Amino acid sequence: MSHYTRTQSQQHPTQRQFNPYTENGGTILAIAGADFSVIAGDTRQSEGYSIQTRYAPKVFKLTDKAVLAVNGFAADGNMFVKKVKQRLEWYRHAHSKDMPLRSIARLIQTMLYAQRFFPYYVYNILGGIEEDGTGAVYSFDPVGSYEREACRAAGSAQSLVQPFLDNQIYFKNQTPVLGTSHPTHLPLRHVVQLVIDSFTSATERHIEVGDGVELYIILARGRGTQGLDSFKDVQELTPHAEGERLFVLRRELKKD
Amino acid sequence: MNTLVSRFTSSSSTELKALDSRDPDYGENEASDITWGSLGGFGNLGLNGIPSFNIPTVPDPTAFLRLHTDDAADSSCRIKIQHGTTTLAFRFQGGVIVAVDSRATAGSYIASGTVKKVIEINPHLLGTMAGGAADCQFWETYLGSQCRIYELRNRERISVAAASKYLSNLVYSYKGMGLSMGTMICGWDKTGPAIFYVDSDGTRLKGDVFSVGSGSTFAYGVLDQGYRWDLTDEEAQELGRRSIYAAGHRDAFSGNTCNLYHVKEDGWKFIGNYDITKLHYEGSQGAAYGYDQRTQ
Amino acid sequence: MECQFGLSGNGYVLLAASTTAVRSIVKMKHDQDNIKVLGPQLIMSYSGEPGDTIQFAEYIERNIRLYQIRNFHALRPSSAASWLRRQLADSLRSRNPYAVNILLGGYDNATSKPHLYWMDYLGTLTNQPYAAQGYGSYFVLSLLDRYHNPEASLEEGLETLRRCIDEVEKRLVVSQGKYIVKVVDKDGVRVIEL
Repeated sequence: MSHYTRTQSQQHPTQRQFNPYTENGGTILAIAGADFSVIAGDTRQSEGYSIQTRYAPKVFKLTDKAVLAVNGFAADGNMFVKKVKQRLEWYRHAHSKDMPLRSIARLIQTMLYAQRFFPYYVYNILGGIEEDGTGAVYSFDPVGSYEREACRAAGSAQSLVQPFLDNQIYFKNQTPVLGTSHPTHLPLRHVVQLVIDSFTSATERHIEVGDGVELYIILARGRGTQGLDSFKDVQELTPHAEGERLFVLRRELKKD
Repeated sequence: MNTLVSRFTSSSSTELKALDSRDPDYGENEASDITWGSLGGFGNLGLNGIPSFNIPTVPDPTAFLRLHTDDAADSSCRIKIQHGTTTLAFRFQGGVIVAVDSRATAGSYIASGTVKKVIEINPHLLGTMAGGAADCQFWETYLGSQCRIYELRNRERISVAAASKYLSNLVYSYKGMGLSMGTMICGWDKTGPAIFYVDSDGTRLKGDVFSVGSGSTFAYGVLDQGYRWDLTDEEAQELGRRSIYAAGHRDAFSGNTCNLYHVKEDGWKFIGNYDITKLHYEGSQGAAYGYDQRTQ
Repeated sequence: MECQFGLSGNGYVLLAASTTAVRSIVKMKHDQDNIKVLGPQLIMSYSGEPGDTIQFAEYIERNIRLYQIRNFHALRPSSAASWLRRQLADSLRSRNPYAVNILLGGYDNATSKPHLYWMDYLGTLTNQPYAAQGYGSYFVLSLLDRYHNPEASLEEGLETLRRCIDEVEKRLVVSQGKYIVKVVDKDGVRVIEL
């Protein structure tokens, strides 16, 4: 009897919580131009105050004209990218062509929404070239609501980078010099410079951003390099110059 | 890969493995027919047309979802679903006016100022978006495909009443699972202009004047006072714009721009996008909306 | 915040229900009819969880109609009440129960007697001379204890109903707006403008 009561008192009720999510920091960003698109992300992966790795890509090539950046929970992000790539490959086998960008966007919506009751904790930004040759950026929330935009930052330094972009891309709260107007589309060189500056600045002010940055640049069919070759560390990923051209630019960021 | 094999070994489509949503592999790992082709983008639709969802294997899936997504209960939760909106629609002599703001907030951060909160279901039907953006976007696009199927089967357009009831029954079947939407289905059918309010509780109301969202009370204040059945088209559009401005001005979770639509007998028409700050200082037809501007 | 009450008199049952549809602090609608006509001599008012109310009421409406089509006669009030209660009770023990409260009024042609039933979402069924649901019931039940007369004529019954509505209007913090009133008697169902 005494044994029974003792075990009773030792058995405290414990509540277990199933928590399959964490936050791995980092920031992603994409800007669409008239005939190009730039998608970028830093390469640091962290959890809390610990850095897990200094090189974990967050930006992925899907097709020659579509690049996907994922941010949030890295495990979910990697799984999601894997599944998107798989679906795009099936599409290629079935239709003998790459899926158009707007269709990829819709595909991503349905894939995210299929997880409505067990969401992927991932913020996606899709960048690329539409069928009409214009540069495009689509941004998504974790359960699949999406919108086409000209520029979008997501991730831990979103609130640092987005206002800067609003000012420099959309010219928000800027008044043009009398008799002039703001340009509607910025040149590629200028955009690339803005993206790099965004990341160096975010690295200065946010602990979860740093180590390195990867910029994917997609040029519409039949366009020149638009001064891209003047940047060092640019590497072309497409084998030939017909069709859309995809480049990657890697830069180091501060590592402290 | 059963489907793949049977696809090429048999000419009979009846031998295709029937998709079963109870099958744990369904839609996830199986390379089904649906995965191959296009189903209007609805890759997770089964053969019966009902999408299937992956549910976490925990005793209470709803509590799980709430724990991670419900920012009203806990602001530190990870997955922020956007809230905060003003949308309105009213019926009058000249059709239906639909006006919405364009702000999306996640906590106190303005996640976007360019959200399209009017969902163009088809050329005759509009839906508005309040609550979960993805829920509204996904289900109203889905409603669009169902309305098209209705047209093909019945050789006539679906009524606004039927379309809204379809949506209402659909979200009611998910009641208690955490969907969040407050929408107005607006259109013109055989009975004339019509508006139905449908929300994720399963409520469906027919009416002349509705406003939904955190700024709805402010919009009602202006809308109710200016509303008459015999408004002209211009007056009605101005009233819609003015009401969204009022909400954008008073409700911190609403603002940026106003999107205005007008539904007439031959379908909807996009009237314009108006910067709310600009409306404050300049108005839309010369007279500024702002109190300080108006009275100085 | 919805409010509904009913009372029986000499050969009739009156049901009254508020017509406002509320969502949080906003009245979304001012002319909602929450009293369904289930048969030639059967009416039902309902309130409760938004969504559940209309889904349940339409389910009941259609099935009572189906019974009438199959059997060439309408269900008598007591049978209808028993069946309705069973639907609620079964629903309560299902995965997602309907949270709906009901008042059922009917006139039994076989016995020439009016019947009023009070029912809650738990499946509690009682036969009453008068009944109320919602916050209004806290004011109205005592009033009806004092003023209700089972032998009252329709005019007198309506007078008592007006007292109920006035009392709720006077004392309940939230105004209920207009009420829809329906009567069922030997001649069938009618809407009454107060």
